Amino acid sequence: METKTDHREVLIPRTSLVQNINVWKIGKSWISKIILILFAFAMLYPLYWLFVSALKTNQEFFENPYSLPIHWVFDNITRAWELAGMGKAMINSTIVTLAAMFLTLLLGTLTAYVLSRFEFRWKGPLMLFFTLGMLIPIHSTLVPLFMIMNKIGILDTYWSLILPYTAFELPIAIFLIAAFMSSIPKAIEEAAMIDGSGYWGIFFRIMLPLSFPVMSTVAILAFLRYWNEFAFALVFINDQALKTLPLVLTIFSDGFGTDYSLTMAAMAIAVLPTIIIYLFFQEQIMKGMVAGSVKE
Amino acid sequence: MGTTARLKGFIILALLPTLLIYTFFVIVPIFWSAYYGFFDWSGMGDAKFTGLANYIEVIKDEIFWRSLKNNFIIIAASVFGQVPIALVLALLLMKNSFVNRFVRSAVFMPMVLSTVVVGLIWGYMYHPQIGVVNYVLKSLGLESLTRAWLSDPKINMFSVSIPIIWNYIGPYLIIFIAALQNIPSEINDAAKLEGAVGFKKLYYVTLPMIWNTVKVVIVLCIAGSLKAFDQVFVMTGGGPAQSTELLATYMYNNTFEVYRYGYGSAISTMIVIVSMILILISQILMKRKNQ
Repeated sequence: METKTDHREVLIPRTSLVQNINVWKIGKSWISKIILILFAFAMLYPLYWLFVSALKTNQEFFENPYSLPIHWVFDNITRAWELAGMGKAMINSTIVTLAAMFLTLLLGTLTAYVLSRFEFRWKGPLMLFFTLGMLIPIHSTLVPLFMIMNKIGILDTYWSLILPYTAFELPIAIFLIAAFMSSIPKAIEEAAMIDGSGYWGIFFRIMLPLSFPVMSTVAILAFLRYWNEFAFALVFINDQALKTLPLVLTIFSDGFGTDYSLTMAAMAIAVLPTIIIYLFFQEQIMKGMVAGSVKE
Repeated sequence: MGTTARLKGFIILALLPTLLIYTFFVIVPIFWSAYYGFFDWSGMGDAKFTGLANYIEVIKDEIFWRSLKNNFIIIAASVFGQVPIALVLALLLMKNSFVNRFVRSAVFMPMVLSTVVVGLIWGYMYHPQIGVVNYVLKSLGLESLTRAWLSDPKINMFSVSIPIIWNYIGPYLIIFIAALQNIPSEINDAAKLEGAVGFKKLYYVTLPMIWNTVKVVIVLCIAGSLKAFDQVFVMTGGGPAQSTELLATYMYNNTFEVYRYGYGSAISTMIVIVSMILILISQILMKRKNQ
């Protein structure tokens, strides 16, 4: 990913001809730069429009939908928070996301430790078994999972989201963490083994702390996935008091259909945490998502 | 002997919770739906065995085939939209300058947004009265091009494809940039000496060098667009008159709106089969062209 600095350019004699070419080249690169920046703004436009509309009154939204607000109003945000139960939805999303993240990290590191450090007969088939899960289209499990969870009585509880979220994220988590653990030298564990630490001790006191860098990547990816997840929440949660953010947003946009700036404010509340995380951890998110998708 | 037994115990104990959760929530559902596809069940009372009736009904249902066709439109839009855009952008954004980093993160940004929000925002942007799409067309004097983007069955599949393209360019861009940066500088030097510049270089040097990556990206793109559901569900719900139905929305509407769990199970099984066939075909095609 490093840039290769081009040393040859220094060696080119600066004749007038070359300089002419350079002027043309610089001009061209500026034009392409400007086009690229315009393209970037076009990509960001829907998000810009969302935040700008969230801070307008409805009247202004209809009168000049595309300009910056003349009167900035934060009233929509507070109204969305109270009226639509965005506060409650935020709490639900936080509980489900954190619990699933905790389970994913704990089980993911534990499994990755076993797969990356020990040889046993079923290791190969087991890896294949986990790969298989990444090929299964998630939506094809909605109906059977609904029926299964209905049968065992966890439908319409936090668990009906926490457990499937964890299950579907585990393969990616395991592969990312196992790849990282394989690069940790074995000498550290061997020393601990001689000191009389058991396997659990080595896992909790050595491997887990050493894996923090990759765990943070897995945690961020899992956070984004769980926070934004919609299909499972739509099917498995019916209780108004348990609904997560994406679910509440869809109901909200139906119910307050014409109160656009209110709906926009509710959406702004929901996306703000993910955007903040993105601004802080961009590189990690990009690399992690790419590594995760290529593994699939 | 003592240590091997202890190791065995540790391995089993460490793997058990993961295996249980994973098997129960990811693998079992596939078999469950294949099995319940043979039953008629409304969510209450006993399930009635009906043999192949559900599967036959799915195959005979015109809407199922329309949904499948719509899924193919999404796949085609993704492959022919995302891959070229990502490739062109990667060629332009290869160097790690400040501006390039900014453009890259702007292109990647939709990846972290909630798909529901993506669906809702684009739904508003397509809105016939308040939407920005028609507004821009009007202000450009192209009044005749304005339309009801999401309800006109002639174009709405293409309208719903655009947000999906917009949503997922990011990772492909990053993969292409990594591949381009991995081309050894000797090859670029050699190309320069031979006088290969511009499009000539792109066609004879750069593209062949990253061709394997292009193939990987196409396979990823097909697999990824099979998962499309949220945005379309939020924008149109599969309507109007089931014109934007995808396999997943078709499954949802036939199960949870009308309480036909057996039929929904049969559709779910069909989704698994279709996905597996497509993934298999794309893998085989990619491997064959390799030789």
